[in-house]
This record gives sequence, C-alpha cells and structure tokens, in this order.
Amino acid sequence: MNRPLAPRVTRALLLTVFSALFVLYVAGPVAWLVSSSLQTEAQITEVPPNWLPPTPSIANFEAIFAASERVVTYENRRQGEALTSNFLPSGAANLLPAMRNSLVVGAWVAALNLLLSVTAAYAIAVIDFRGRRATLYVALATRVVPDIALVVPLFLVIRNLGLINSLGALVVTYLAITVPFTIFILISYFEGIPRDLYRAARIDGCGHGRALWHVYLPLSLPALVASLTFAFLTSWNEFVFALVLTQNVAAQTLPIIISGFIMDFTTSFSFVNAAGVIAIIPPVLMAVVFQRYIVSGLTAGAVKG
Amino acid sequence: MARITCAALTKKYGDVVAVDALDLEIAHGEFMVLLGPSGCGKTTTLNMIAGLEEISAGRLSFDDAEVTWTPPHRREVAMVFQSYALYPNKTVRENIASPLPLRRQPAAAIDSAVAAAAAQLEITHLLDRRPNELSGGQRQRVALGRAIVRNPAVFLMDGPLSNLDATLRLSMRGLIKRLHQDLKSTFVYVTHDQAEAMTLADRIAVMRGGLIQQLDTPEGIYERPANLFVAGFLGSPPINLIEGVMAGGAFSRGGWRLALPNPPADGRSVTLGLRPEDVMVAAPGLARLDARVELVSPLGSETHLDVVAEGGLKLTLRVPKEWRAAVGDQIGFGIDPARLHLFDRASELRL
Ligand SMILES: Nc1ncnc2c1ncn2[C@@H]1O[C@H](COP(=O)(O)OP(=O)(O)O)[C@@H](O)[C@H]1O
Ligand SMILES: [Mg+2]
Repeated sequence: MNRPLAPRVTRALLLTVFSALFVLYVAGPVAWLVSSSLQTEAQITEVPPNWLPPTPSIANFEAIFAASERVVTYENRRQGEALTSNFLPSGAANLLPAMRNSLVVGAWVAALNLLLSVTAAYAIAVIDFRGRRATLYVALATRVVPDIALVVPLFLVIRNLGLINSLGALVVTYLAITVPFTIFILISYFEGIPRDLYRAARIDGCGHGRALWHVYLPLSLPALVASLTFAFLTSWNEFVFALVLTQNVAAQTLPIIISGFIMDFTTSFSFVNAAGVIAIIPPVLMAVVFQRYIVSGLTAGAVKG
Repeated sequence: MARITCAALTKKYGDVVAVDALDLEIAHGEFMVLLGPSGCGKTTTLNMIAGLEEISAGRLSFDDAEVTWTPPHRREVAMVFQSYALYPNKTVRENIASPLPLRRQPAAAIDSAVAAAAAQLEITHLLDRRPNELSGGQRQRVALGRAIVRNPAVFLMDGPLSNLDATLRLSMRGLIKRLHQDLKSTFVYVTHDQAEAMTLADRIAVMRGGLIQQLDTPEGIYERPANLFVAGFLGSPPINLIEGVMAGGAFSRGGWRLALPNPPADGRSVTLGLRPEDVMVAAPGLARLDARVELVSPLGSETHLDVVAEGGLKLTLRVPKEWRAAVGDQIGFGIDPARLHLFDRASELRL
C-alpha cells in the first residue's frame, strides 16, 4: 500500500529545513571562527562580512608560532597595526605554553576522574551498604552550588594547601566538578548491566575488583569514553576557577591566555580567531578518535534475548 | 564433599521477610529441589547458599565448616541462572573457561577441561561464537558448561529451564539429571514447575511465604501432602477439594455421605482431597456417584473430564484415552476411600 506522495514530500522537506537550521545554529560560530582565522584583520571587519576567506592565508597562524620566539616587552608590545593584522598582543608568546598546560591538566583530570568515578559508581551501584543513596545525593548536591559562590572558599583552601599557581590546583578543582556528574552517569549505566552477570562473576571467583574489571568495565565502554571526553572538555574550557587560582604563565591555561588577548583599546580579531582554532583542535581530535567507541548494544546477548 | 546445613536461615528486606528461619539439611550428592510459587523465597534461599545475599540471621554450613560470612568466590559453588548470565563480550570458550584462570590453573589444563565440558554438553562446534549468536537452549548449555568445568562440590540452579520452550525443557531436564548422576555433586535446584521438581528431585522442599511447607521425596509429597497448599500445588490437573463436615464417622456434604477408614471426630470441618486420577469411571448407575459431563479435554494420552456430580459438586476426573465421553453424557464413578486426602479446614493440615 502506497501512502499519498504529498505528505511524504512535505515531511521530508520539513525535516531537511529544520535539520539545516539546527546545523547552522550549532556549526555556524565554529565555521566563522575557522573562516575568519584565514582572513586579514581588514577582511574580517568588512561589511558585509566575507563568509569565505577572499584570499585565504595562514599568516595568523604563523604569527602564533613566531610569537613564541619573540620577547614582548613594554617597549615593543605595540608593534604593528591591528588593522593590517600585524598586531601581536603582548601575551602572544604564552599561547603555546598555555596549550601545554591545558593538555596536561586535561589529561590528569580525565584519567583521575575516571579512576575515582568508576570505583565510586561501582560501590554505589553494586555493593549494598548503608547510606549508598545518601552518598550519591551528597556528591550531586555539591554541584547545585554555583561555581562563582565557591571561588573564594576554594581560593583559600588551595592557597592554604600551597597549591596556588600550580597545575595541581586546577586538577583538584576540576575533579570536584567532574567526579559527581561522572559517578551519576556511571551509576545509571552500571545499574543497567544485568545483576545476574555480577552474580555469575562473583560465583566464578571474582572479588569486587575483578568483577569491576572483567564485567562492568568491558560492558561500559561507551559510558567510559563519554566520561573521559566530558572530563577533558570540562577542564579544557574552564575559565572562572583558572582565572582565580593561577596568576602567572607557569600554570595558566588556554582560556585565560586567549581572553587576555582581548584588550581595552586594540584587539586583533584575526590573531584571537587563529588562537581559537588551535584551541578547538584537541577536543575535535578527541571526538573523532572516540566516536567509534560510543556504540551501544554491547550487552546484547548477555541475558535472555 | 558437601553437605549443606541451613539453620534458621533468615533473610529480611526491610520489613519484608523473604526467607523465614529456614531449617534444611541437604545430604552430600543429593538432588534437592526448592519448589514453590513466584515470590516464595526460593531464589533468596539459593542466593544465600551461594553467598550472593547477606544472611540476616541464622547459620549456613558446608559439611562442618560454617560459611555464613564467606564471600561467594571462596565457597566452591557453581551456579546456573535463569537468565543464563553469559558474559556477552566473551566467546563461548572464554565463558566456559572463565572460572578457571581465576583459580590459577595451567593453560593446558584449562583447554582440556573446556574441551571435555563442551563435549559432554555437545557444544564443541559453538566454542568460538559469542552468546548473542546462540539460541536459548545453546546459551543454557554454555552456562552449564561454565558450571561443570569447575567440578564443584555444590551445584546451584535457579530456574535454569524456565526461559526455554517446552520440548527443549524436556530434553534439558534429561541432560541435567544425567549430569547429576555423572558428577555426584550436591544439587540445589529452584523451580516453580512441579513436573521438573517431580522428575529431578531426590527430595523436594515445597515453599510458601519464606517457609518450607513440606520436605519429602516426590512420591511422599504427592501421595501424602502435608497441607492444603501442598496438595493444591502439585498435580495436574489439580486435586479436587471438597469441603464438608464429619458426621457419624463419615464425610458429609449436603445429602452426600462417604464412609472413611480412620474418621476424625464428628462435627469437625474438613476438606476432602481427591486426585483426578483416583477415581474408577463406569457406566451410570454402576458406581458410587453419578455425574454429568460438562467439558471434555482430550490430551491424547489421557482425557480430562469436568463433571458435575450429585449435589452440584464440581470435579475434574482423569480417564483413560479409550473412554469416549461427550458433553452432557451421564457417567458414574467410584472412589477408593484409601486414596482420599483429608485436611482440617481451619488449620489446613493433613489429618
Ligand atoms: N532485593 C530485594 N528487595 C526487596 N525485596 C526483595 C528483594 N529480593 C526479593 N525480595 C522479596 O523477597 C521475596 C522472595 O523473593 P524471591 O526469593 O526472589 O522469590 P522466588 O525466587 O521464590 O520467586 C519476594 O516477596 C520478593 O518481593
Ligand atoms: Mg526466583
């Protein structure tokens, strides 16, 4: 039986239009970022804007790498003109070290977050102990408090620990943000794994450590990858705590350095945009590498199918 | 080497008493079946024996060693689950071998043990598949393989055949019985299927509401049910229960009287149990009771008749397949008083 043609065409058309609008909404800013990073300052500021670079150039990126070889001082910091894209912000040389800091912090946060959350989530989801629910609620409740309210107390704690201006300060702080959410996500995933698999593992000779390693982790790959990505991105993007807890370039991360490029009187959009493009490369790479692991259906066939 | 002793074994979930002070001794090499309706505490009992559920009160011993607080991986028990519980990310070979590497056995020993188990269960050709490429019956064979490869002293099975279709269930039942004869381990088997219980068990523990109602051999349970619940739970079609009172040494219901061999005191309210097969059907007028046929259910091997006897008494009778009856026919049947079951109506206990 064929359905009438007209409703089907309308449906397809509507779907296409709305998908296109959605993609434009999500990807538009990123596309503009990439496009403008390949334009000169003059081209970027033209009206109407150049959606595509009229004369694509990697001059902005060259400036970033050149900046790391040039010492910017008070005397020479105003060299070049913003309009001809030869202007370099004073902190330009800090961009690549900041990127390294961001990567180091992100890697530690992603790894430690997984380690802490997996064990905590296993305990709460699988082991029957008094206060298991309360543990989760308390952990989640800490995330109800707005970050900005925590800035000052956290600053005092970190300072008293002697961690101000260290990457460790950021790692510890970001873990406090990511661990409760990750536990929450992993608990619901673990609870979806048939309880009989846990029982079988215990009978087969697994203690809790082995049950976690042999049963829960292999079956939770998508959730683990999602947690890894979530923690890394949270760390990569975080601004408020980084601003307060790090005060010199030794420990400052990308968002702090890049935001520093936006100055009171002159801002080189082309340079900032090129820096922005560099900043999104690691997360994009991560998404590309991990997306093939984010597949469900791994538990198919575990129990009665 | 395993005698299992449950002494006042109790499991509470908050206010719910799932298993209530259960006393049970399972002999070495015995095939014990826990039988009862859903929710009666069979699985909970089994899980406590396995160590998968914490014991709220009471004591559990294997032979003379108390294991009440021993974690499952130190109890030397194997278990087969209704849901099969195969590791989906592992092949059949790895699934069957999974208890072994953890027990630090050499690789060659593992290979030969897996091969032997697979051969015994006729699943050698499936060894490299994954669980999702197997049928239900094959999965349950793999689960059995994972259990027997350890050569355990205690074998626990929680409704292992409940998810299989009828024919498969029958052949797997035979397989499990042979397994028990070969292995000579202690088996504890949970089911709500009376036919499974009757065919497999050395002894059956009939459970209800966390309590054991009767513990006996299959014949004992069927022929001498301890109470109304056990009488009603076993038998297909179920036993006919007729309520009445004792009068003049005979069972009396309405105008109908039936003399009993060892009658209880007069005036007592009793329930008479009559198994559908314990009747002699004859032409009308020739036997004790006359009845009219209401429903005929031929099963091929035998026929079930739903009849209404004198006084509006509704009964189900089981007659040989040769007996051709039609709805509306008048028949007669006789009862052997020696095969009747008599229960006190208040206490529901056997008299
Ligand atoms: N985890 C649990 N929490 C609360 N009640 C439970 C739990 N497991 C079982 N029960 C209760 O205990 C009783 C016995 O359950 P179970 O042993 O699974 O019965 P069966 O296996 O005989 O069907 C049931 O009333 C059930 O609702
Ligand atoms: Mg059960």
